[in-house]
Amino acid sequence: METRYILKKDHLAPWLRRVAKSHRVVAPVKNRHGDTLYAEIDGLDKVELDLAGQPQASAKSFFLPQQEVLFTYRTGKGGYEFHEPATPAPATVYFGLRSCDLSAILYTDVVFMGRHKDPGYRRRREGAILISIACHQPHPNCFCHATKSGPFLEFGYDLQFTDLGTRFLVEAGRSRGETLISQWRPFFSEAAEEDVKLQYQLALEANGLFRRNVDVGCAVRKLAEGEVAEGIWRELADRCQDCGGCAYLCPTCTCFTIRDEKLGPEHGERLRCWDACTLEGFSRMAGGHNPVAREQHALKRRFQHKLRDDVHKHGRPSCVGCGRCVGICFGGVDIVGFIDRLSEEDLP
Amino acid sequence: MTNSINEIENSEVLLVAGSNTTEAHPQVARRIYDAVDRGAKLIVIDPRRTKLASRAHIHLDIRPGTDIALLNGMMRAILDDNLADDLFVEMRTENFYALRDMLYRLDLAEVAAVTGVDQRLWQQAARLYARARKSVICYCLGVTQHICGTNNVQAYANLAMLTGKVEKEHCGVDPLRGQNNVQGACDMGALPGVFPGYQPVSDPKARAKFEQAWGVRLPAKPGRTLLDMTHGGGNGPVRGMFIVGENPLLSDPTMDKVRETMENLDILVVADIFLSETAQLADVVLPAASFAEKTGTFTNSERRVQMVRAAIPPLAESRTDAEIVIALANRLGYSMHYQSTAEIMEEIALLTPIYGGIYHDRLEESWGLQWPCFDRAHPGTPFLHKYMFTRGKGHFVPADHQRPAESVDEDYPLLLMTGRIYHHYHTGTMTRKSAALNRECNEAVLEINPADARALAVRNGERVRLASRRGAIELKAGITERVAPGMLYTTFHFAEAPINRLTVADRDPGSQCPEYKVCAAKVEKLT
Ligand code: SF4
Ligand code: SF4
Repeated sequence: METRYILKKDHLAPWLRRVAKSHRVVAPVKNRHGDTLYAEIDGLDKVELDLAGQPQASAKSFFLPQQEVLFTYRTGKGGYEFHEPATPAPATVYFGLRSCDLSAILYTDVVFMGRHKDPGYRRRREGAILISIACHQPHPNCFCHATKSGPFLEFGYDLQFTDLGTRFLVEAGRSRGETLISQWRPFFSEAAEEDVKLQYQLALEANGLFRRNVDVGCAVRKLAEGEVAEGIWRELADRCQDCGGCAYLCPTCTCFTIRDEKLGPEHGERLRCWDACTLEGFSRMAGGHNPVAREQHALKRRFQHKLRDDVHKHGRPSCVGCGRCVGICFGGVDIVGFIDRLSEEDLP
Repeated sequence: MTNSINEIENSEVLLVAGSNTTEAHPQVARRIYDAVDRGAKLIVIDPRRTKLASRAHIHLDIRPGTDIALLNGMMRAILDDNLADDLFVEMRTENFYALRDMLYRLDLAEVAAVTGVDQRLWQQAARLYARARKSVICYCLGVTQHICGTNNVQAYANLAMLTGKVEKEHCGVDPLRGQNNVQGACDMGALPGVFPGYQPVSDPKARAKFEQAWGVRLPAKPGRTLLDMTHGGGNGPVRGMFIVGENPLLSDPTMDKVRETMENLDILVVADIFLSETAQLADVVLPAASFAEKTGTFTNSERRVQMVRAAIPPLAESRTDAEIVIALANRLGYSMHYQSTAEIMEEIALLTPIYGGIYHDRLEESWGLQWPCFDRAHPGTPFLHKYMFTRGKGHFVPADHQRPAESVDEDYPLLLMTGRIYHHYHTGTMTRKSAALNRECNEAVLEINPADARALAVRNGERVRLASRRGAIELKAGITERVAPGMLYTTFHFAEAPINRLTVADRDPGSQCPEYKVCAAKVEKLT
């Protein structure tokens, strides 16, 4: 069994401060408008860490920036010259990732570091140490217990913190995490048996705290068997307002588009930007034909991809149950509503 | 709006007129859908089969500009079925008998002929609307952008008053406003005849108050309206213009006339965030800051005053609109100094009774306050006209159908309407700078019915020439059943196909709003 440690809450800031000497630190921070977002911490004393609230956006943009320069070009006598920018990717400790957000990173790893390795993503990911915080205060829209991506994780993290009141229980999942402890070992003590029991108890209770009971399995089965009525897709499409918000905010939506921007008569850049399959232009062909009729199927791709295609490919849905798209959807057609609809059909 | 947007959700009958709500006001459309999910009935009055219209329980697809005729027909049906709210009419309104007499004289067959709508359909709609306890009317530019726009609005108000569907929650007549702050601009007196808070310039008391506060003499006569300035009229030509965040060259009707006016000015100054088509004609362009670079308030459709906070400082040498105005005033010899926008808000509160209790600190922690809000203790007003109309009793103004300024004829046999689409905003000064939005839509499309397309041998996607008596443009044809035979529709977002080269400058005498919704046109194949 892996070793478990205790870090007193009093020691959190001092330890992080030391970690920050050799790493960039990203953590959930409450800003001056009261919103919590993952942000790079520049001086621990200047910011308010928020380990209880769910950050409004996931950590996706740290690995897959909303907009990224893939290369710049120049035209000269010898034709085009291309230049790949060396985006710096400093060693970064992500502290206080929600379990869903960490699970999401494991998924984007599969997309960008599978057979084809995306250079930018890889640079940023390889220097990353992921420290999650186990959730025992699920938010109103969360359902990670149903997607098996939280609230407590069993793998995937470098370190997992559990809030035990006056202290954190710290589990090291991988050697990179272990190093952060061994480097500043005096801050940590070995966990006692009752600490471990308490964590177990919290984990059990957390599962009972979810306010949403989402039957993901039922949706997965119905999609796999093609049992979703056309009328449902149509109704969803009617309501979707084409804003792309769900995809932008979703920690596991990875679609992007490529755009060339001319910066002068002889130079320019190629950009990669987030995209969303709910948008009409996403699949429109050059001649104007669109293989996906948005009027009927605006959301079909998104839900099928998350709950059918990824199950088929990777053995599990790629929705991590963070609930963010529930709160953001302009049209009121989020994934939870969809799944609920499918499971309600089976009720007597 | 007399109501709050959220009230729509709980209405029982929604009558939506001249509004492509799903594209132009998606947030309102969502509430409409929610209401329909809860069992509400939806009536849509629109010449086009919009997405909302195709979901309506009753779609009254009138000929453009025939709202008054239709509403008179509906009101007559209400009288015939004894569905008027007699008590309300008696207690709260005046001039009912004039309306009644006019309705009893109405020729119902003519209503059907003028509107092109089956009598049974409008009668059904009238009954639905009148019988429900909570019926709300939402209207938009399809109602106002006509030479009879003011009467159109009055007709909807007549309908609401006749059935007592005002003065309470979930009942009312709601114009949907297009811009995030058009309500705020009007509230602050960006209209020819009023000071902030709709205090008339002709009122000596109001004038004295502002004169004292600002230390200047103020004119007692209303200023000119926009079209008076760009199309002449009033007292001689305008010699100089300072245009802030607007692109009249593309947005005003009869573009060539607007260009001529602009080119003949002694001086044209434009403040905008991008170099718009109008700015390109300017003698001086002042780079302005965008919404993300300034702190202040916006007032939305439901009269809600909300804070906007600068996320980043103004880029490069741009300045906020307030800074530009202040700097200009000082250079012109009027000393103007404010420490912050909060201080400007204090002055607004001091001089504008409906904003009397609205201060930045109160807005900081909330989702805003809805005016009227008279003092610091006032909680704001979610719906208007509670207990009494602003002007006392509601006044019925009977109106007769009025023919649009231009009718179709042999030379120009098709009827052109103009409007908006989801992905672009007005003349595209902002939205057409976005690659993402341009990918969604980057070209003007002329909606044409399959029957007309067939007659002209026009294929879907083919470029055609569209002409009116005032000018012509070229654009792509999109064949669709959304428009009825004989009708055309396109947008004014695209400088490459400036539709306002074609539109008429005739306008409503009251609101001075031009008739963008009706113009006779023809389509020709390009050779
Ligand atoms: S689909 Fe929605 S709930 Fe699922 S991971 Fe994405 S944002 Fe979260
Ligand atoms: S957030 Fe909702 S409205 Fe926006 S694209 Fe997604 S499903 Fe459509």
